Amino acid sequence: MSASPWPLVWLSLRRDRRSALASTFGLAVGVASLVFFVALGLGVGRVVREKVFPVDARLVEVVPASFSLGLLGGGVLDEAAVGRLEALPGVARAYRKMNVRAPAVSVYRGDFFGRPLHMGLEVLAVGVEPDFVVGDVVVGAFADPGPDQPIPALASTRLLEIYNKSFAPQRSLPQLSGQLLAGFVFPVEFNRSFVTAPPPGAAAIPCRAQLVGVSDRALLAGITIPLEVARRLNRAANADADAYSAVTLEAKDPSAVPGLVAAVRAMGLEVDDQERRQAERAGAAVAICTSSLALVSLLVCVLAAFNIAHAFSAAVRAREKELGVMRAVGATRAALFRLVFVEALVLGLAGGALGTLVALLAGVAADAAAASMLPAFPFKPESWFSTPAWLLAGGLALGVVAAAAGAFLPARRAAASDPARVLAG
Amino acid sequence: MIDAKGVVRGFDDGAGGRVTVLDGASLSVAAGEFVAVVGRSGSGKSTLLHVLGGLDTGYRGEVSVAGVRLDGLGDAALSRFRNETVGFVFQSFHLLSGVSALENVMLPARFSAAPGGELERRAREALARVGLTMHAARTPGQLSGGERQRVAIARALFASPRLLLCDEPTGNLDAETADGVVALFSALNASGLTIVAVTHEERLRAAASRVVTLAKGRLT
Repeated sequence: MSASPWPLVWLSLRRDRRSALASTFGLAVGVASLVFFVALGLGVGRVVREKVFPVDARLVEVVPASFSLGLLGGGVLDEAAVGRLEALPGVARAYRKMNVRAPAVSVYRGDFFGRPLHMGLEVLAVGVEPDFVVGDVVVGAFADPGPDQPIPALASTRLLEIYNKSFAPQRSLPQLSGQLLAGFVFPVEFNRSFVTAPPPGAAAIPCRAQLVGVSDRALLAGITIPLEVARRLNRAANADADAYSAVTLEAKDPSAVPGLVAAVRAMGLEVDDQERRQAERAGAAVAICTSSLALVSLLVCVLAAFNIAHAFSAAVRAREKELGVMRAVGATRAALFRLVFVEALVLGLAGGALGTLVALLAGVAADAAAASMLPAFPFKPESWFSTPAWLLAGGLALGVVAAAAGAFLPARRAAASDPARVLAG
Repeated sequence: MIDAKGVVRGFDDGAGGRVTVLDGASLSVAAGEFVAVVGRSGSGKSTLLHVLGGLDTGYRGEVSVAGVRLDGLGDAALSRFRNETVGFVFQSFHLLSGVSALENVMLPARFSAAPGGELERRAREALARVGLTMHAARTPGQLSGGERQRVAIARALFASPRLLLCDEPTGNLDAETADGVVALFSALNASGLTIVAVTHEERLRAAASRVVTLAKGRLT
């Protein structure tokens, strides 16, 4: 058939509207549920990956071994060890980190963005190389400003989220953003603690810290300050100011990470991959839930394909004489196959498009319901769904594939019919 | 126009045996003839028509129609032959239900390799030839039996075939309507169209220029 099959396809679909609608509806239900659940899984996965456990796949956190080999070396993260780490193949950059090895507290009494606040808390501080967080600094410079100046400090993005969604609402405190926090100054006193006794003879070191931004790379429960400030504070507190608490290796490529981890362990050091494991575990849980629901949806699509196979088989049987007449007026076997098959593909495309559209609308409705009905909580996303272009294309393709699978045998049967037999008598 | 020699066609009888319907049948029809094929029910008249029209390929023998040797042709070539050279008219009309008369008449164009320009005009002309100009938009369900058969004839005429093959074309019509259809065939034949009609009807037999009888698988 060199002529277009479309006129006959439209005629046939228009004539058998009820059956066409039933087949399209079945496909749409399957496609809609699949796209909906996969979009939900992708959306929740994105929140886990980007907000709850923001893990950069290229970073490897190296920490000292929990036990030292003594004279045999290993275990200590000193400058020589950092040099060796930097020299490992696949390493683009090494970022030094040093904990402030003295206890610290912050006691705040005063105005906090328009509300009175009286609070004292234990503070952890870690010093990092400025390049590690430079992209997140929005006020001033992230460098040692000298002993009498406020220490530039970064807060954790996740901590801010927890504050905004849990802490602030319970205490009627204002919602804050990174921009709003930038420039906020608060007191910090090192060599003081609410829970442990200070080292004998240690004098308190009163300082001020100034928030210069928030960062995914900042310490979750504490402040992140310039490495040189941490080194200066450790010296002032008579603590170790040479050994690093951790070194973050930035791999040239995520694929180099497994080799780096092995090399680091061979050096007698350890890799802190707790965050990565948590992210992987959470991601796996989301993936399992999503896959289970997607599997059910796929089964619906398979049922829809069977429904199409049944409907088209019945249609081919009912249209036996009609197909015979088409053969009589010049249709080839291939033309009849194409005719039946294209009819199914049109239904598949319609079912896929309808299902995808319904899934998108259901996602919008679910987001709106979640926004209005669920209370605020940390990491609550604006949207629970992620709908990349490949998912939408996949929804359409699934409808077409299911319809094609269902219609294949009926189309072959149509092509194989014997016109002389069906038109006799 | 038609030159069929020694055509043999058999079918399984459903009980493990085989029944031979055409047993060395031969037929020659000149261009412009109107031939009526008569015979008892089950004598193989429809089978002969299907062989001559390229619908049935499971036979032995030589069949040439309009200069085309049909035996041994592949599906594509046979389909093109049916589309361009012959027109079929069936006892049960076999129109597409729920589709307008105009669309039914245009059906051959949907499978044509030829350019499809002015399809609607040509379809309306074919309907005009059978006297159904005013019924183009009606579906088969809105037409009488005689009108349906006329639509089927218009469909057969749409591609300007050289041969019209009719299988009991008046079998489902009342006497008055059948007379009209026979008159239409006579007019078409008078305009030069070759017609081979399988029939039991005396009126169609009377209209034919030649009558052949199919008995025991052979034409006499």
